[in-house]
Amino acid sequence: MSLLTLPSNREEGWRWSDLSALPQLSEREPTGRVPTDLPWIACEREGPRLLFVDGRLDETRSRLGPVEIGPVDVTASDHPLARLAGRSGWRLRLGLDHAPHGLVQIVHVSTGAADHLAAQIELDVDAQASICETFIGEGWANRLTGIRLFKGSRLMLSRRLLGASGFISQVDHAQVGQGASLVVASLAAGGTDTRLDGHYALDGEAAYAEASSALLARGRQRHDANVVVRHAMPSGVSRQVWRSVADDRAACSVAARVEVARHAQKTDGEQSLKGLLLARSATINAKPELEIFADDVKCAHGATVGELDRNALFYLGSRGVSPDEARALLTRAFVADALDRIGEEEVKAAFYADVETWFAGR
Amino acid sequence: MLKIDNLHATVDDKPILKGISLAINAGEIHAVMGPNGSGKSTLSYVLAGRPGYAVTEGSVTLDGEDLLELDPHERAAKGMFLGFQYPVEIPGVSNVQFLRTALNAQRRARGEAELSAGEFLRVAREQADALDLSMDMMKRGVNVGFSGGEKKRNEMVQMGIIDPRLAILDETDSGLDIDALRVVGQGINRIMRKPDKAVLLITHYERLLEIVEPDFVHVLAGGRIVRSGGPELAHELEREGYGAMAEAAA
Repeated sequence: MSLLTLPSNREEGWRWSDLSALPQLSEREPTGRVPTDLPWIACEREGPRLLFVDGRLDETRSRLGPVEIGPVDVTASDHPLARLAGRSGWRLRLGLDHAPHGLVQIVHVSTGAADHLAAQIELDVDAQASICETFIGEGWANRLTGIRLFKGSRLMLSRRLLGASGFISQVDHAQVGQGASLVVASLAAGGTDTRLDGHYALDGEAAYAEASSALLARGRQRHDANVVVRHAMPSGVSRQVWRSVADDRAACSVAARVEVARHAQKTDGEQSLKGLLLARSATINAKPELEIFADDVKCAHGATVGELDRNALFYLGSRGVSPDEARALLTRAFVADALDRIGEEEVKAAFYADVETWFAGR
Repeated sequence: MLKIDNLHATVDDKPILKGISLAINAGEIHAVMGPNGSGKSTLSYVLAGRPGYAVTEGSVTLDGEDLLELDPHERAAKGMFLGFQYPVEIPGVSNVQFLRTALNAQRRARGEAELSAGEFLRVAREQADALDLSMDMMKRGVNVGFSGGEKKRNEMVQMGIIDPRLAILDETDSGLDIDALRVVGQGINRIMRKPDKAVLLITHYERLLEIVEPDFVHVLAGGRIVRSGGPELAHELEREGYGAMAEAAA
């Protein structure tokens, strides 16, 4: 596809990216083969379910509820991947004080080629929703999600990036209004490379935004994230908890920035970027950034990269735990910081099961 | 049960153990005493298989089997338990999760059935109660936020749950006040003072030995056992110190 213009590593925001597989994936034809077993999460309160195969809704296996399909109103922006996502997809708009019945589940299956899809989430005053997106298959799934949260609304957005091979790119553009709360939690635990972009703007007073992710990589996999949380109004609170685990020759890279505008006093922003190397040949890049123009703020950031604690490994071994099991136990504990932010027990359990599956694949 | 023969070991190429021989039979409690730097902790780490401790000569067998060939978790599955002088903190892994994983790993290795969550919690509660540790603490991260004394009591709770045949206890009494010392000492007696079990108790001081009465006392100095005797040897050391004995051996 000659129209595919991709950024180069010379651009700061893409310095750790490897997009070299994308042109080839874009030229492939999808097989259309969908596995019979789809990774729906069993919930006590079943909510809407959407199945997208290569970016198209499979109506027979979907139950839309309040979700609509059609054109979406999202800023395409100048983001090179977001531009490709187009202006149609799924849309969840909830009116005043509304909530969907149960968890909204969206499964994206890619069957070997590139698929692009946009989404729009708009929650009116005091509305709330919890959405879980799961990506599986092989190919390139490219997504753009526009999020607008009005006063007092609450959105929990969890994403399981479980594709077997290929690439998953996700761009979020969010505006969080007064007293509204946005929590985005992601887990990359498949075989694909990923690129996560997030721009979360706290546009109302006392807004809350959180981005928590666990990125697990092995082989020659690359996970790459670039997130900006912008405090535009006073008394906002933001949390970023990133946990990267890299084995073999894999690489995880996280660039996370907190921006505090001049009048965003009483901002409370925290960033924690931690990396765990399971092999000396693996790579972790962490780039925490703070840009503060207000003077009465509380911002903390920390970035660490290390290996599993040898003393802890020996301690576990001395109690009878095998080296593999000990590594798994400690690595699970390492990513728990990010995954424990997920509110719903059923979703959290699914995320932990995905982590177990990742370990079982060692 | 445990037979140590002419054991030499180095740490970072520096010889620390210089020919230790010791036989511990079932039903016996052996105390190893000695001044700082005499090799007491090295002995416990070598027996438990800590990486970085290299055996250069000699042999160690457990029930006739070469212990030095086994990884730490395999030694544990054979019934060996190391009580740490400085128990390790593991944030994010709860005591309960850690011990259930450990116990079931050992049971699997021995071909025994795993304990269910309910069965395990019953055993854990029993042992925690006996050592005055609340179940709330057992649900916290391993040793995270525990005081020195609580960490040592936690070692004993672990020993009670795992129920080993051979315990090597490295300065389990250090950092304990008098009441905690009694609780820990009684714990050792309750869990390990049995005809089919044995203990190697490493300590600086005699006071633990007043609660856990050893059958044999050995004095370690300069990487060698310089004297062995009955419980009266501990009293002699308490009176006269290590100085004379270590010098005599040098």
